[in-house]
Amino acid sequence: MPTVKIDGISIEVETESTILDAAHKAGVWIPTLCHHPAVTNVAACRICMVEIDRGDWRQLVTACNYPIRRDTDVYVNSEKAVRARQGVMELLLARAPESKELKELAARMDVKGTPYPTVTESQRNCILCGLCIRVCEEAIGQSAIGFAGRGAERVVATPFRMASEDCIACGACAAVCPVGTIQIRMHPETNEVEISPFKTRAKMLVCEECGARIVATPVAGQVLEKVKFDWEEFRRRARLCPACRRKRTAAALTQAKIE
Amino acid sequence: MTIAVKHLADPREMEAYRAVVKARRGAVAHTVRVCIGTGCAAKGSRRLFELFQEAAAESGADVEITNKCVGCHGFCERGPIVVIEPGDIFYQRVEEPDVAEIFRETVLGGRVVERLLYTDSATGAAATTEEDIPFYQAQQRIVLAANGLIDPRSIDDYLAIGGYSALSKALTAMQPEQIIAEVEKAGLRGRGGGGFPAARKWRSCRQAHGSPKYVICNGDEGDPGAFMDRSVMEGNPHSVLEGMIIGAYAIGSNQGYIYVRNEYPLAVEHLKVAIGQARELGLLGENILGSGFSFDIKITRGGGAFVCGESTALMASLEGRAGEPRAKYVHTVEHGLNDLPTNLNNVETWANVPAIVNRGGDWFAGIGTEKSKGTKVFSLVGNVVNTGLVEVPMGITLRRIVEEIGGGVQGGKAFKAVQTGGPSGGCIPAEHLDTRVDFDELTHLGSMMGSGGMIVMDENTCMVNVAKYFLGFLKDESCGKCTPCREGIAQMLYILDRITHGDGENGDLDRLEVLAGLLDGTALCALGKTSANPVLSTIRYFRREYEEHIREKRCPAKVCKGLFLYEIDAEACKGCGICKRNCPVSAISGERRQAHEIDQAVCTKCGTCLEKCPFSAILKV
Repeated sequence: MPTVKIDGISIEVETESTILDAAHKAGVWIPTLCHHPAVTNVAACRICMVEIDRGDWRQLVTACNYPIRRDTDVYVNSEKAVRARQGVMELLLARAPESKELKELAARMDVKGTPYPTVTESQRNCILCGLCIRVCEEAIGQSAIGFAGRGAERVVATPFRMASEDCIACGACAAVCPVGTIQIRMHPETNEVEISPFKTRAKMLVCEECGARIVATPVAGQVLEKVKFDWEEFRRRARLCPACRRKRTAAALTQAKIE
Repeated sequence: MTIAVKHLADPREMEAYRAVVKARRGAVAHTVRVCIGTGCAAKGSRRLFELFQEAAAESGADVEITNKCVGCHGFCERGPIVVIEPGDIFYQRVEEPDVAEIFRETVLGGRVVERLLYTDSATGAAATTEEDIPFYQAQQRIVLAANGLIDPRSIDDYLAIGGYSALSKALTAMQPEQIIAEVEKAGLRGRGGGGFPAARKWRSCRQAHGSPKYVICNGDEGDPGAFMDRSVMEGNPHSVLEGMIIGAYAIGSNQGYIYVRNEYPLAVEHLKVAIGQARELGLLGENILGSGFSFDIKITRGGGAFVCGESTALMASLEGRAGEPRAKYVHTVEHGLNDLPTNLNNVETWANVPAIVNRGGDWFAGIGTEKSKGTKVFSLVGNVVNTGLVEVPMGITLRRIVEEIGGGVQGGKAFKAVQTGGPSGGCIPAEHLDTRVDFDELTHLGSMMGSGGMIVMDENTCMVNVAKYFLGFLKDESCGKCTPCREGIAQMLYILDRITHGDGENGDLDRLEVLAGLLDGTALCALGKTSANPVLSTIRYFRREYEEHIREKRCPAKVCKGLFLYEIDAEACKGCGICKRNCPVSAISGERRQAHEIDQAVCTKCGTCLEKCPFSAILKV
């Protein structure tokens, strides 16, 4: 197993694990935005730049996808690495100036603000990290959203920017969005959930007992399909909110005991 | 007349076939070679070919005359080019009415039509053949050797000049390792821009685990003003195929791809024809020349994205995904196309291989400098007298390329800079013209070899505007995947835009340099990492010009609108009133037949007066 020395802390890691894995193990913090353990790393945001020793020179690499194959010296808090990450953050702040999450991360990185004006506005407050797209494809299996356009014109969008039939309104994209740009909005008047800004809407499944909203109906449908569990009682319980389901199960259990 | 084609089962059969082809060629008394490279074709050379065909049919001469279409000669400035054998008489700027005369006088009569020869403007001497023309004299042609000589759509033509003999030698007399050793000895470095040693790449791919392995030819040339690879694919496609087959044998691959942009229809067509012919003769496919080695090539057309010239983006595109680069921490020779070992080289690199196998690595290494061997093809364009395609030995000075081959700057203007390396390259000023062309020397100057674009700029070029142009190109071509490239280039362009509009501020140059450093250090692929080179190199050599824009709000080259004034030269002005009538903001006043005047407070500096004045009386000051 190769040994990684991160800012002086030596640890052994599995070969092919990433610098980020090693840093987690060593307890060294490296900021990330486009990284998520549930999906592949693409190293698009470049906020996790660190320096590695190449013998006679040092190279800036992205921690999230640099594979460790031999003993490596990593410098997370060298001046050059810190400056590189801050520089990337300044560019992102210019792109998404209103994101609370981004400002918090910037503060943690000692970035006070950005010297740059906002010159790219293809999509408001989106840093185009692509996590939402990868989650939708790799974790959910729907591919309801993707990148459209190129370069500074790039956006995350549904096909033709219309409500997507493939979107099951699961909200995974909103859950992973590191800058809070994707939002789940409830519309109580129609009992619908909307994934903003993608304009897709779905009816919510309502608990048959108490009327609480549980989950988007397409998600429930997909889960039932995947489970393929042919037990009428299970299907009935799936239409209940977690609290009512627990009550029903408990009742059934006590009943069984009495019988 | 075509010769019955057959499947060549072994090298002996190929040599026998070659002998038949050559014998037939020997019986032809006259050959008319019409260039149908894209440059000449644009000037109507295809029609010239038809006219020569008609003339030959009508003449009823009892000698055999062959008219053939050939690839680019390189001297595009002087196209359309027609060469007559015997004698290799070189006619330039041939027009339709000239065909009858050429046919009567030269083809049938054996006399030279003097007025169609190239005349050297300095000495006044007429040149009968290519060798007599200064443009060709300082060149050394390996890759382009057969361009202009053979019909790119005829494998017989290629065989007649010794084509595929390197393949035969490689398959029968050499082990794969030996071929790699020969390429290593030659010191061949990648011609696509990076200059990575080809043999090292081949060996890594050969040794990589995984099967099948792929070889790829990168024909996605996209630098503004560059057409080297295009001309090789159009003019001598078999040389590319032969190089790829040899490389595939050395690497242990059975499947190759040529990735060529769809904007190169002639290259696609000629490559398709060439692949079909090579398959028919058994030079592609199963058991090539009885060696037991099998290999085939597919053409994939790209949509023309500049970033697809980057190897990982190209492979993504080949796989049918969006052409976006990925990190190269794991090399493509290990995990490339379809996650399998892949060896990618550029068109020119592949086209050098047959010559290296045939003539040996030592011969190739004898050309060039210590670390850059062989020749390099450049497309020499811009404000230079002889624009065109040139192939020069490494180590030649920039001055010789610009002055001897290029014939100096157009219109007797002063030389200002030469831009090499495409959008990732830089501008080299006059004081470095004696630099030797070499991968490392050009990098040292803050530019790069790149794939071979060479743009000459004269004194009327604004260097800030040049930097802005290249950066604008890169902004459009950035895929947008990584933050520094997508956002950083846009920020730099924003600053340059301000400077060229007279809104530059103190500190702008520092800001540009900070952004350039950030891009270099943090961008994902070479497109982003090198994108600041045009800006950095122009700041390095033309800092004063930037400062004049920023501090004095003046564009010394008088290119940036608003940073110079239009004035009327009272001496030259005839008072015709054309400028006054055409001025969209009525800023010009004056009586008829009296010198006019421009009211600078009203003038929007649109330049209409300058365009319209028949007496060149409008001055930029």
